Amino acid sequence: MMHTLVTTLKATSLSAWVINTPSVWPICETLHFIGLSMLVGIVGLLDLRLLGFFRRIPIAALRGLLPWGLVGFVVNLVTGVLFFVGAPDQYVNNSAWWYKVAFLGVAGVNAGIFETTQASALFRLGPHDDTPTTFKVMGAVSLGSWFMVLYWGRMLPFIGNAF
Amino acid sequence: MMEMLAALERTGFASWLRESGSIWAYPTVLTAHTVGLAILVGASTALDLRVLGAGSGIEVSAMEPLFPLMWWGLAINAISGAMLFCTDATTKGTTLLFMGKLASVAAAVIVMVLLRRSLFAAPRRGVITSGAQFLAVASLLLWMTAITTGRLMAYL
Repeated sequence: MMHTLVTTLKATSLSAWVINTPSVWPICETLHFIGLSMLVGIVGLLDLRLLGFFRRIPIAALRGLLPWGLVGFVVNLVTGVLFFVGAPDQYVNNSAWWYKVAFLGVAGVNAGIFETTQASALFRLGPHDDTPTTFKVMGAVSLGSWFMVLYWGRMLPFIGNAF
Repeated sequence: MMEMLAALERTGFASWLRESGSIWAYPTVLTAHTVGLAILVGASTALDLRVLGAGSGIEVSAMEPLFPLMWWGLAINAISGAMLFCTDATTKGTTLLFMGKLASVAAAVIVMVLLRRSLFAAPRRGVITSGAQFLAVASLLLWMTAITTGRLMAYL
């Protein structure tokens, strides 16, 4: 199944464009780092607040920054898809990439659960309140999994079938 | 100058970092550099966006504790950066791209200090002036330049 996916993607003109246009890969990489700064900066700050740090900032107000964190995520999703379409075999055969995807999944599921189940608890919190244990656990899972995404991404050329 | 750079590159530490196949050598230092970047530029971006009006429910003076976090990110990157530099000092030390990166980082750090003073020094503590907003834009642009020049160094 993976083999079919790889061959299908490699046959696309998008794949050819990514690989054959010299500026595309470096520009995408640069955008990927800028995107990760926005994502980790904003989501990370929210996670630290969930863990009980920066208590002078009300959590509800911090969430006002989340759309920009999402911008960072979308930039990385788009550039990530371009990398994958450009050189799918390089990723599919690399265990580091699968770890990265797994941690992306953890981060996503954790965020989904938080958004759907914790909203009321969130708005009950006052500006200087400590956070309930659920928030601390989910904040830690979020922070940890995003840093694991970063780690496995950075390790792509070095672990597994190195490119 | 070239001799100093060459000597640096030949040191035991630089050689080990560069030539050891171990994941604890070059790959780990490179990861530390990415982590420091995420912390420093991440926190800076959050602050800059707030100064420019995003998340306006946040009282800006409550964001002052972000600065120690940023200094830690900078420390991690200064140390990891120096280590990465010495593995390839003769190439990196003589390229305009690297000098551009260092200049952007230096300018961004100066802007960071000025922004802290603008936002948090009495008597206008917590007030966002147009000067502060200018600094926030400069900060975003300078860090993007640092990231861009840094990433392009991999293609040297």
